[in-house]
Order: sequence, then C-alpha cells, then structure tokens
Amino acid sequence: MNKLNYFTQLKALMRKEVQQILRDKQLLFLLFFMPILQLFIYGFALSPEVDRLRLGVVDHASSTVSRALTAALVVNDVFELKESGGRDAALAALVRDGALDAGLIIPADLERRYRAGLKTNVQVFIDGVDANSAGIAAGYVSQILASFNRNLSSGSQESREIISPQISFAYNPGLISSWFFVPGVIALVLNLVSTLVSSAALVREKDSGTLEQLLMTPVSSKQILLAKIVPLAALLMITVAVALLVSVLVFHVPFRGNLLLFLFVSFLAVLVGISIGIALAAYSENQRQSLLTSFFINLPVIQLSGAIAPMESMPEFFQYLSYLDPLRYYVICVRALLLKGGGFSEIWIEVLSLSVYAFVLLSLSSSRFRKQLK
Amino acid sequence: MKKVLAQIGKEIAQFRRDKLTLALAFFLPFVALLLYGYATRLESKNILVAVKNFDTGSLSRDYIDTLFATGQLQAAPFRGSGVDIMEPLDKDGVKAAIVIPPEFSRKVSRRERAQVQVVIDACDVNNARVVKNCIIASTNYFLRSKDLQTTRNLISPQVRLWFNPGRDEALYVAPGAIAVILWIFPCLLAALAMAREKEQGTILQLYASSLSSFELIAGKTIAYTLIALMQAALIISASFLLFGLRFVGDITVFFLSLVLFLYSAVAFGVFAGTRATTQSAAVQIVATTGFTTALLLSGFLYPLRNITYPLSLISNVLPARYFVSAARNAFVRGSDFGSQLYIPVSIAIAAFVLYMAASKILRRMQLKG
Repeated sequence: MNKLNYFTQLKALMRKEVQQILRDKQLLFLLFFMPILQLFIYGFALSPEVDRLRLGVVDHASSTVSRALTAALVVNDVFELKESGGRDAALAALVRDGALDAGLIIPADLERRYRAGLKTNVQVFIDGVDANSAGIAAGYVSQILASFNRNLSSGSQESREIISPQISFAYNPGLISSWFFVPGVIALVLNLVSTLVSSAALVREKDSGTLEQLLMTPVSSKQILLAKIVPLAALLMITVAVALLVSVLVFHVPFRGNLLLFLFVSFLAVLVGISIGIALAAYSENQRQSLLTSFFINLPVIQLSGAIAPMESMPEFFQYLSYLDPLRYYVICVRALLLKGGGFSEIWIEVLSLSVYAFVLLSLSSSRFRKQLK
Repeated sequence: MKKVLAQIGKEIAQFRRDKLTLALAFFLPFVALLLYGYATRLESKNILVAVKNFDTGSLSRDYIDTLFATGQLQAAPFRGSGVDIMEPLDKDGVKAAIVIPPEFSRKVSRRERAQVQVVIDACDVNNARVVKNCIIASTNYFLRSKDLQTTRNLISPQVRLWFNPGRDEALYVAPGAIAVILWIFPCLLAALAMAREKEQGTILQLYASSLSSFELIAGKTIAYTLIALMQAALIISASFLLFGLRFVGDITVFFLSLVLFLYSAVAFGVFAGTRATTQSAAVQIVATTGFTTALLLSGFLYPLRNITYPLSLISNVLPARYFVSAARNAFVRGSDFGSQLYIPVSIAIAAFVLYMAASKILRRMQLKG
C-alpha cells in the first residue's frame, strides 16, 4: 500500500469519527458540559470549613464575665448562638438530637470565683460524630478561651505569650478550600469523560455492526483504531482546556506552573483514559455492558487517586494500593502545577510514572481490541 | 393486586438472570463500602513536619519533644540550610517546616519573647488547620508545663467530644457511606430495568395491556425495593462487622426511614428510566443527577452548612441528605424517637413526588381505553 493512500484513508476515517461524535448529543454533553457541571457542584459543595457551629449556652452565672465569654466564642463566626432550652438536660438533648453542634454550660459561681482569683471550669461539649470538624472546633475553643483569659488579665487585645509561633500558610494563604478540590475534580472528570466517550465511540460500531463493514473496506485494523484515538484525544484536550478555564475564571485557582507541562501531563491522562475506554469496549458486547463495567473501574480509580479526600489521610494500605492507580500521578501533577508552581524537577517521578502507564495501557488495550477484529 | 404481584415476580426473575446486574447489585456496593469506609479519611495522622533548631539549649529540645508528643505530627529531616523556610516543603512529603531561632532557650528562660517560625503547606486546607491547631495547642501545653505563662487561666474549658470521644473517623464516614451506597445502586438498577423495557420495545406490550400506569410502576418499584432491602441487609451487616457500627438509638425511626428511603431511590430510578430512551442514557442520567448529588450534597463528606447557597436548596430536597442524618443518629448519636420524625416524613414526601412524576409520564404514553 502506498503511503499517500494510507494517510488519505486515515484522514477520511478521522473525519467520519469527528462527525459522528459531534452529532451525538450524549457524547457532546459528556465532553463539554460534564466538566463544567462537575466543577461547579464539587467546587461549591465541598468545603471542610469549620464555622457557624450551632452553639447552645446555659449561663447559670449570667454575669458580665459569663456574657463576655459567650460573646468571645461567637464573635469570629466559629460558633453561632442558638436556642439552648435553658436547662442542662434540655441542652444535652438538643445536641443528642443533632439540633445543636455544641453546648456550653457556665456554672453559677463563675463571677464570685473570678473575683476571688480562683480557677473555674466551664463545660463545653461538642458533637463528635464529624470527628474532623469536632477536633478543629475543640482546638478553636481552647484558643478562644486562652485569648479571653489574656484579655481579662491584661485588658489589652494584643498581649502575647513568651513563645509565639508565627504561622504562615504556603501556596494557599487565604485557605480557600476550592483550591484543593478543583484540581482533583479536573482529574476526576477527565478520567470519567475520557473512559466513557472512548468506550462509547468504539462499542457503538460493534453494537450496530458497522465495525464489520469497516473491516470489509481496505483499511487496516491499525488505521481504524488510530482514526478513533487521534480525534478523541484532540476533543478531550478541549475538555481539559474547558476545565482549566472554569477553574481559573470561576474559582480563581492560580495557575503557577508551566502550561506546556500541564498540557503534556493532561495528554498522558487522556491517553490513559482512552486506553481504559478501549479495554472496556474490547470486553463488552454493547454500550450498556461497557457503561456498567466502567463503574467497576472508575469507582476505585477515582477513590484511590486522592482527588477528593487527601491521599495523606488514607490508611497506609490504601496509600500503597494507590501507586497502582494512574490517576493518582495526574492528581499530584495538577495540584503541583496549579497551586505550587513546581516545574519538571519537582514532579518528574509522577510524569514518568504516568507516561509508563499511558504507554503500557494503550499498547495492551489496543492489541486486545485489534485481536478481536481479526 | 394480582397483576402487581405477577409484575413483581417477572421483575425479580429478569433481575436474577443477568450476571452483570447481579454484580452491580451486590458486589460493587460492597467494594464501594470498603473504599469509602476504609480509604476516605479527612484528617491525616502522622503529618510530617521538619524542624530546624538553631538553638543549642535544652528548652528548645523540650519544646520540639512536646510538638511531637501527641503523635499527630511526625518529625522529618529538614532539607536545606534553614535560611529559606519554604525549602523543605514538598520534599519527602513534608507538610510543614518549623525554624527555632538561636538564643531561644536563653530568651525563654529569661522570660523574654522568642519567636518560632512556622510555614504550613495549605493546599489541603483542612489538614493545614489541623497542623496549626496542633502547634498552638502543643505550645500552650509547653508553656503551662514549664510554668512560663504570662497570664493565669482563670477560666478554662473542659472540652468533651460526645458520641465519638476517640474521634474515630469511621463512625462519621461509614453511616454516610451506607446512605450514599443505598441511594446510588437501587436507583441504578431500577433505572436500568425501566429503560430496558423501552429499549427492547416490551413497554409497548405493557402500554397495550390492561395494566394501568399506576400498577405498572407499583410492580416495578415494589420489586426493586425488595432487592434494595437485600442490598441494605448486606451493606449494614457488613458495616457492623467491618467498622464496628452498632445501633445506639431508637431503631424504629431508622427502619421506617430505611424502607421509605430505598423506595424513594427506586422511584427516582424508575423516573429516570421513563425519561431515557436507552439503558445507557438512563445510566448517564442516574450517574450525573443521582450519584453526584448524593455524594456531594448529602453531608456525607463535609458539613451540610458549608454548601454554597443555590446548591444548598437542592440539598434540602434530597432524600439522601435526610437518610445520612438518620444513619448517624441511629448508629452514633442515639437520638430520641420524637426529634427525628421529620426524617421519615421528608423522605416519604420525596418518594411520593417521584412516584407520581414517573406514573404521570407513563400515563401520557399509554393507550386510552
């Protein structure tokens, strides 16, 4: 076969592929609307903020000091004052029923003991079901009480202890939680969209029997597959661009790294997704089967990648398991490139691992798919 | 009634025939429980912190020991000279760097102020806060134990965490995971079953039969609610075994809510199935509208109060949101019967609305007479 002919055929096949995808509303939805939708929901719904906890106060002292204490807890929005029921038992019941997040009981002799210079304990109880928020809230209570005591004894706002840690936050000084989730969602959505669209594009030909017709034509199975992969990869890179634009324009996530490197790792991630899609198509008879099987793969791939819950918090076993997850490397790369501004020297291990995964998965899945064609 | 029973029998027979559907019904929910229950944790333990100590005295060493005493923070080697405090971040997974200045011990023992520099990697906002709180609490403890405090703490809080004093995150994640899983999978199965009738054209036979749309949907929803109850039995008993969950509160509200919740999940699936023309379209509708909302807007991972305004409205009408509360109340809080009645009532309203919506769509398509 002469070379010119080869490329003419390939071009014709690719044109057919692009037209077919652009005609399919379901695939268009996945490619361009899904990333926007998912970024919006994840970005606006997920937030680990610990504030506006519903606090009920039973103030048996009802004195100047006790009222100042309540005010100190509420002033910076960590707590929000709610109806307490007035009695200790009622307050406890409200917390038990989930109507309040925390309770404060101030003993009657607070003012008297305070004037006499005696130490007084106030009772604070926090709903510990959400272990993470409760731990942070408990820390806040101690800090608020410590500064309250300092203010009481010195009368000034800014009296400091002998050792004062000067704490600053790197990469995300405003502690904006969406900055953590948005890079993760870019990875998550790219994985979902690339596997679903590519498996649909391939299995559709099988399902409708047009694959046999294609095989009757002079084109080789290699050309068929190549003509599937190239347009898909190109369209999925547009998905990447859409996701990046939404992240930067809507969520104001900084882009501190190298854009070319970002596009390169995204391209690798797209190839990984397409490989999974090809494998799904190779093992499925119809679209229903490939779509349902994709749940069995995408659920663990996403859960173990650290896209949503931080990788470092996972139990050790799952952290090791995540080395098998190609998405893990992409998540690390995206966070590093967007937030930390790292270059190749910081993330070369991840880039290398991702390249290996992309190469191995693509070769395995395409040889499996081509074997079926023969 | 007989027609409905016959329908239920047919649905269950069809369900049992397909291996992939069976795996989707019982195997994948179990895998999901393992992944959510074991691998989803918000707070890191053993966070690596690098300390550079320019001081030679013993007080700084005691201070460093205090920082690592609780076990939440773990010491890591400080790479770099210490001039640039940012340098060790990101190397070997270090999440925070601390620099203790020269003369620290001398200054502190003379009760002069000494500054300690801390920088925390704040990409993960939540754990950045955990590290900050940890350092402040350890510093205050150190000052107290060395009698270095400048003020007397006349009022001190006795903080207790109720229901979960050991701050075991499994008690938070597992009940939420039960709710999310028991929403997604029953919903998916019902949507597939409904869309299959449409895809294969068998729905035309049903339209032409004497079965009313009401009976048709009753048969489908009851059959899949029975299957969902089996899924619930599997998932709940697995979480008893794996995560040590126990019933601590009133179980009547929980079981009432459970049945209504499963029914509403199935009704949502049937509704999605009636809207879709193919099974793959049905799966996609369920995955985008059911899966994402149950996972993100139900309070499963992060507190409900943090959901931003227009999205929080959607959260209010989600049955999963109410069932997450019901599960946490029953397994962890041990809430009273009376205070939780709003949960089954809200879920019942959602189930009713979904049922009516699905049967209305079908009725429009049915042959008259």
